[in-house]
Amino acid sequence: MERGTISAVTTVRHPPAGFPDEPRIIGLITLDGGSSVIGRIAGISPRIGDRVVPRMSMERVNEQKLRAYDVVYEVAAPAALQEDPFVFEGYILALTGPSGVGKSTVSKVLSSALSGIVTRVPILTTREPKDGDDGEYLYVTREEFIRLEDAGALAASTRIPSVSEDRRYGYRTEDICKIWNEGRVPLVVTEMHLLQGLARSFGRRSILSCGLLPPGTSRRAMLSQLLHRLRTRGRDSEQSIADRVRNASSDLDFFSHRKELFDHLLVNDDIDAVIATLKGHVLRTQEDTR
Amino acid sequence: MRLSRIGYTTQEAMNADVFLVGSGQTRFGEWWDKSLPALIEEAVSAAITDAGITALDIDAIVIGNMIGQQISGQGQLGAMTSALLPHRPPALRVEAACASGSVAVHTACALLESKRAETVLVVGAEKMTDAENTAIASALMGAGDSERDAPAGLTFPGIFGLIASRYMHDYGLTREELSLVSSRHHEHAKANPYAQFRSSVSPESVSSSAPVADPLRLLDCSPISDGAAAIILSRTRKSPLRLAASQLATDALSLAERPTITSFAATRDAFCRACEEAEIDRKEIAHLELHDCFSIAALINLEDMQFADPGQGIGIYRDGLQEMSVNLSGGLKGCGHPVGATGVKQIRDLAKQLKASKQRFGAAHNFGGAGATCCVHILEHACEP
Repeated sequence: MERGTISAVTTVRHPPAGFPDEPRIIGLITLDGGSSVIGRIAGISPRIGDRVVPRMSMERVNEQKLRAYDVVYEVAAPAALQEDPFVFEGYILALTGPSGVGKSTVSKVLSSALSGIVTRVPILTTREPKDGDDGEYLYVTREEFIRLEDAGALAASTRIPSVSEDRRYGYRTEDICKIWNEGRVPLVVTEMHLLQGLARSFGRRSILSCGLLPPGTSRRAMLSQLLHRLRTRGRDSEQSIADRVRNASSDLDFFSHRKELFDHLLVNDDIDAVIATLKGHVLRTQEDTR
Repeated sequence: MRLSRIGYTTQEAMNADVFLVGSGQTRFGEWWDKSLPALIEEAVSAAITDAGITALDIDAIVIGNMIGQQISGQGQLGAMTSALLPHRPPALRVEAACASGSVAVHTACALLESKRAETVLVVGAEKMTDAENTAIASALMGAGDSERDAPAGLTFPGIFGLIASRYMHDYGLTREELSLVSSRHHEHAKANPYAQFRSSVSPESVSSSAPVADPLRLLDCSPISDGAAAIILSRTRKSPLRLAASQLATDALSLAERPTITSFAATRDAFCRACEEAEIDRKEIAHLELHDCFSIAALINLEDMQFADPGQGIGIYRDGLQEMSVNLSGGLKGCGHPVGATGVKQIRDLAKQLKASKQRFGAAHNFGGAGATCCVHILEHACEP
């Protein structure tokens, strides 16, 4: 039984025949593995973004006195955010794209080009440090990561599907809030689960969300471009590259399935042009929010 | 030959002119004194009279119905309806939850285009009010996923409660804004003599009605109704009204199987393909009848049909600036929603609206479940016959 996060919740005032005649809280829960499930939520006024833990519960007794047990989800940690989710604390600049599209490079160049405005948020990871890393990661053990996740300290987390290892990435709420308190804009690089997690925790409207697409006019061209980049940067093993390309394919679908999660889509064919465009978006948003 | 993304080749989809030659319906409402067969008979004879034909001109019958078997104990609705006519034409019943009516129309188009029939009677009918609420709720839950949705104790209002909670979270829609939707539909229903509710409902009373499935309240939900509607389609009898497109699309039954719950892929697919089939731009549509089973669905539908950006559907209800009319009949909320009848009745309403306004195109959007089946029809009115 997997833990998860509430992605939608309702209180059914008139449950169907056979269920206890009292308001029943039911949620759509995104499990940590990425799939979704509908289940009863045990807890008082649960909210979207709350972490939940599964347990068995006797849900009803039928006329023949047979007891029916089902999985229910207990709120483990309320979503770490202010009372009203629509109070605008500040905004997050998010760069989303498949592995190898150049997110880290764009994020590095952009943070120095806008050094007076944006700060990169450290990425919490359970993977081993590598040569190409340049201080963007905070390394923790898998146990520590799960502890932080269950304590509700992570604004977003994801497990990258991989045949070779169990890699987890996440962002701590406190890191993002600290950057806001300094009056600056947190800059994050995300993939589909991290972006959705941030949208759950802080509200979609708190994110200036930019998608980065590889160059190429077809899906096949985009994927071969990514493969080429992953090979030439020399950071990953062939095994890991195979995993990444497989995941990149679903990342590309995400751009079309969840268009509403993006404010801008950019093709990363010319880094200078991409930086200039992103800079323009940030400066305009700075003016709008002032 | 150009292939559409899924399903039929678009060029072949409407390969005969299908004319709407007549229509009829019962008033939608609580008809404690009328059984399912009585409702069907009333709508059928009204349609035949309206078309100016005799019953013997009908070659085939398609009837859309969802819960006749569970609630009225009546299956075999095809044969039952056929027995109302003296010559017992071939007849069949189709089911696609709340989209049963429009899927019946779609099926009739197939019979006409394949030259199986020249003139088809399409009926949509449902009898819902003289059963217990729990029986109705459980029958309607047949539109959901019996393995993924129902075991947790979810109801249909609950499914749309989940959708509304997510939509409000993502787009910041407020309870007060959402109340404008039902209020507007009720306002429109006042002018429709066939509507179940013909009185004004203020946005405040929507907001303060009893909670059903938070954040949805009683007046966000379309009612339980009895009613039947019938239309007569023909490829040999000409009429100024022609079906320019009939498109059917489907999606996963359960919300747990979808990439997003604030947009319905079946609506996007069916509507987009219908516009292609009719060779029109969405801006040419003068009247739209959309499936507002719950207030939140109306907003999502407008966005999925790209009349508004994601999250901005409420603008059409708040500002009321659009040239196109939306649910001028009163929609499901104002007219009532005898589930199988709605999709047929929408086309009848469009015909009335196009004749009155002398406009050219109208679209009917009807879905089943939480958008797992969606059928879109585009009706074209030749103003100078």
